[in-house]
This record gives sequence, structure tokens and C-alpha cells, in this order.
Amino acid sequence: MAEPDITDSLATLISEFSRSGLAELSVRSGEFELYLSSVAGQSGKRRQSGASQGEAGSRAAAAPAAQLAASAPPASVPVATPADLPANARIVTAPNLGTFYRAPKPGAAPYIEVGQTIAEGDELCLIEVMKLFTAVRAEFSGRLHAVLTEDGTMVEAGQPLFALVDA
Amino acid sequence: MAIKRVFIANRGEIALRIVRAAQALNIETVVAVSDVDRDSAAAALADRAVVLGPAAAAKSYLDPRLVVHAARETGCDGLHPGYGFLSERAILPRLCQEHGIAFVGPEADVIDALGDKLSARAIARAAGVPLVPGSECIASAADARREGERIGFPVLLKASAGGGGRGMVIANTADEAEAGFHKASAEAVAAFGDGTLFMERFVPEARHVEVQLMGDGAGNVVHFGERDCSVQRRYQKLIEEAPCTAMNDALRAQLQQSATALAASVKYRNAGTAEFLFDVMRQEFYFIEVNARIQVEHPVSEAISGFDLVQEQLRIAGGAPLSVKQEDVVLSGHAIECRINAEDTRRDFVPSPGRITRWEPPVGDHIRLDSHMSQGAMVPPFYDSMIGKLIVHGESRAQAIEMMSDALDNFRIEGVPTTVDLHRKIINHPDFKDNRFHTRWLEQVLLPQLQEKAA
Repeated sequence: MAEPDITDSLATLISEFSRSGLAELSVRSGEFELYLSSVAGQSGKRRQSGASQGEAGSRAAAAPAAQLAASAPPASVPVATPADLPANARIVTAPNLGTFYRAPKPGAAPYIEVGQTIAEGDELCLIEVMKLFTAVRAEFSGRLHAVLTEDGTMVEAGQPLFALVDA
Repeated sequence: MAIKRVFIANRGEIALRIVRAAQALNIETVVAVSDVDRDSAAAALADRAVVLGPAAAAKSYLDPRLVVHAARETGCDGLHPGYGFLSERAILPRLCQEHGIAFVGPEADVIDALGDKLSARAIARAAGVPLVPGSECIASAADARREGERIGFPVLLKASAGGGGRGMVIANTADEAEAGFHKASAEAVAAFGDGTLFMERFVPEARHVEVQLMGDGAGNVVHFGERDCSVQRRYQKLIEEAPCTAMNDALRAQLQQSATALAASVKYRNAGTAEFLFDVMRQEFYFIEVNARIQVEHPVSEAISGFDLVQEQLRIAGGAPLSVKQEDVVLSGHAIECRINAEDTRRDFVPSPGRITRWEPPVGDHIRLDSHMSQGAMVPPFYDSMIGKLIVHGESRAQAIEMMSDALDNFRIEGVPTTVDLHRKIINHPDFKDNRFHTRWLEQVLLPQLQEKAA
């Protein structure tokens, strides 16, 4: 399989993004990563909490991202557990395939941040399947040590999402 | 537009079969798997596998939204549903269309129209396809006599509210029809509170015959001959053959023409099969239903036509016209397929999942094995028990039977009980060799014989 040059798609992507009226667009495909924002002065990949109304449509960015993915070779399944996790870390995995969202809605603060303490039953994230959003709840308590999956990306069933350590 | 990356929403041998067909056409492949199918042969061969959900099919292979979400997020522009699972659920092509994914199969509306029994019968009738002769409502014993004579005995009196055999009476003569009316009507009142009856011709010795079709969606349909799938147990096919040698050539041509006309009348797109009941005594065939998908037994049609049906499916779904004209389809020889299931035939065919500890299939020029199994592979308990399809292609039926017998003798499977030994007994039975069997032969003749021997 020939490896298509991703930069070929860049110009199209940027012009489509400008026309779309979207506030932000984050794309990742294999090693390649791109973040576009039409909001002046904003930088960094993460959406800021308490952001403006203009960000409401950013979740729709999944569609162009999928189109770009169509021109890239299929990515390999993400590595299960990063090597730098402490030995006592407990992993929260995705119950089914879907799109992983850390916040209850676009622009809102994530359900949990690294360092935060979590009780059993707390909502940790959303998994979306065809506009149906299902909350993933903690099956054990602990402190969030690491987020193992990129916000807004597809996760597979059983894929590690969070690493928790004893609080 | 030709499909560039196809999503395979199935498992087992058919998922592997689709991956290979796609690779032959330089189409990239993404295979959907459940948690227990991560290490499947299809997953290993495909460019990518994605885990949909847990083992339970309802939470993985049977969830149309999950499947289409996965297809979209992995950048697929085509989706092949295989057979079983979601393959004939109209919601799948509908969701695909919403998300710009080409569905490898018929249009949603056609699936709906053919999936409903009454609507399918109406379509068949309009296309001039023969249906089982039957009556309207039978209101009296005199009606029963008259209708029976018109339809031709034997007939079956059935409760129109019925089901499960209650209120059902077989009548071989007009007198039996009169007497049967009172009995069936009383039974129907007792069972369903409604004594309304109707009548259908009863076919005591039927063969199951079906025609392989491929349409372009614009009204052009090509057939690849018929298959005879009369070795069945509880309506499950065990052995399929092509062509049907219980039918003369003129009748076969009529059958093929009927099936083609039916499919053309709905502008059928992609692969499908029209199923018929063949009344051996009367030498007549009647429409049963259309299966709007590729079928398990498609390899016997591929063997005698030399044509790859799954590759054609992928081409047509990508917008290509039919790659062959009817006159280019040349059928030759005779093919037989045995479905190898992980089942214990001595314990009422109970599915017997487990690990395959030895897997040595027969090899030969005219032997084809469609299987996802290998030594060390696991047959999970969550899905159907088919572990492979053994297909042989000979010059004649007699030669194919001999080849199949040899191939079965050389098939070594250990770890799970299989149907291989039963297939050997069927293939070598005089009734099978002489082509004297029908859809209830296995249950009525062979299995009782085997039980007697064992006792």
C-alpha cells in the first residue's frame, strides 16, 4: 500500500476549515497532528473551559477529520498501556467502540483532570455512537494519574482511557 | 466511485473471504471484531481490525449504529455485511447512505419489500413467478372439496390464524378434505378462537432449489445457475450442490428465467438468491423467498461458473456495471459443498465450541476450503458453529461425490466434535448417490438409520 503524502490534503483541509465557520479543528493521523483555530489569541490543542459560544460546533469537526483519515493509511491499534505508568495503576477501558469525549459538552470543563480524586460511580467521560452519548463511570475509586486517549478520537472496546492510582 | 476502503461487518469464514476478495481488487480492509475475535484470521489478514464491543453479538456485530460509526471513523467508503447478523436489516444501508458509505448489497427499500413475506409474494406474482397453488378463505366442507379438486391433492388445510402445526390437516382425497375441514376448523377454533381456514398444495417430497443472481440496480440481472440445497436438518442446510440434477434442462431454464425476471422487476442491485420449492413428483417449482445477501453456499456457484461473486459485489457497490453478460456465464461440471460445523451429531447436534488441537484439511486441485480455522484456533461459544466449508468441483455429479468422499476422509480435525463424519455417511449413502432425497430425507431416513445402527 502506497503511503499518501498527508501534506497534499493540508491546503484542502485549511480552506474547508475556513469556509466551515468552525472555531477549532484538531486532526491526528498516525504521527501527524494538526490543530487549527479561528479564535484569535487561542493556542494549544486543548479546548479551554468556559469558552465562547463559537465553539459549539467544534464537535462536528469529526466529519472532516474522518474524510482526511480516508486518505491516510489505517492506523495501528493504540498501545494498551504506556510504560511509564506506576505498577499499582488501575486502567479504565472503553466498554465499546465510539468517539471518546472528556467533557459533557463542547467547551465545558472535562469531567476529571489529572490529580483529581474519583469516587466509585463518578462519570469519567462520554462515548458517542451515532450521536448517542453514553457516560462511562468509575468502577473503583482513586486519583487520576493519566489520560491515555486523545479527546475526540475513536476508541475501540477495551482500549485504555484512564489510569488511576490510589488516592 | 470504486470503493477504496471497505469495512467488513462480519466474522468467521465470510469475513476472511471478503478480505481476500477486497485485497484482490486493491481495496483496503477494516474488519470489525468483538472482544473474543481480536485474534481471528480475518483480523490478522486485514489492514486493520477494530474492536466493536464485547462478545455478545447484540453489543457488537448486531448493533447497526456501532458498526456504521466504526466504518465512518476508520475512513471506510464501503461496507460489506456478509451473511447473517445485520446483512438483511434495512437500517444498515440506510445508515450507510446517511454517512456516504456504499453498502455492498441491495437498496434498503428493496430489502424491506423482499423481507416481508406477503409483499415478496406479490412481487413474485407480478413478475409471473409461480407460487404454491392455494386458496382464499375456505368457508365450508363443500368449499374444501371444491378447492382441493381445483388445486390438486394432496393439500394442506391450514388455520389462517395458525402456527405451530395446530389446525393443520393433510388431505389426500376430496373425501378427506371434507372430513379434514371439520377437524381443522374445530382445532383452529379451540387453539386460536378463529376457525377460518385456507388451503395450500402439499408437497410431500420437495427439493430446495435456489438461483444465484447479480443485479446492477438498473434492471439488468445475470444469473449464475441454480443450487440444490435439499440435505437439511431443521431447515438448516448441510450440503449444497450446483447444478440441480433432479430437474431437466428445460425446467432449469424456466427456473433461472423466473428468478431473473423477479430480480429485474425490482431493479435488484448486487448479489441475491431466489429460493424455490421443487415438487419432484409434479416437476413444478414454487417461489419461497429472496435472500437479499451473499449466501453461505455461494462457492458452489463460483466453482461451476469460474466467477468470483464477492469481488463482483465489491465492484458493483463501487458503481461498476455488471462485468459479465448472461451469455458469458458458462456453467460446467458439478460442485458440492459440505458445511463443517463444530457440533456433536450424536448428541442432537449440540454446538460444541472449544480449541482446535489438530487441523489438517485435505488438499487437491479441485478442492476448496473456506475456513477461518487453524491449529490452536478457538471456536467461541457465542456465535454459530460453522468452522468451514469444504467444496469440490468435478466433471460430473458422480465424480464430485467421489472427490468429496476422499476429501472428507483426508480431513483431520481434533479438539471439537464436527459434522465431518456425518457428511461422509450422507455422501456415501445410496439415496444420495442416486439423487433420491428431499428436504426431510436426512431427518426421516438417514438419522433414524444411524440411530438404529448405534443402538
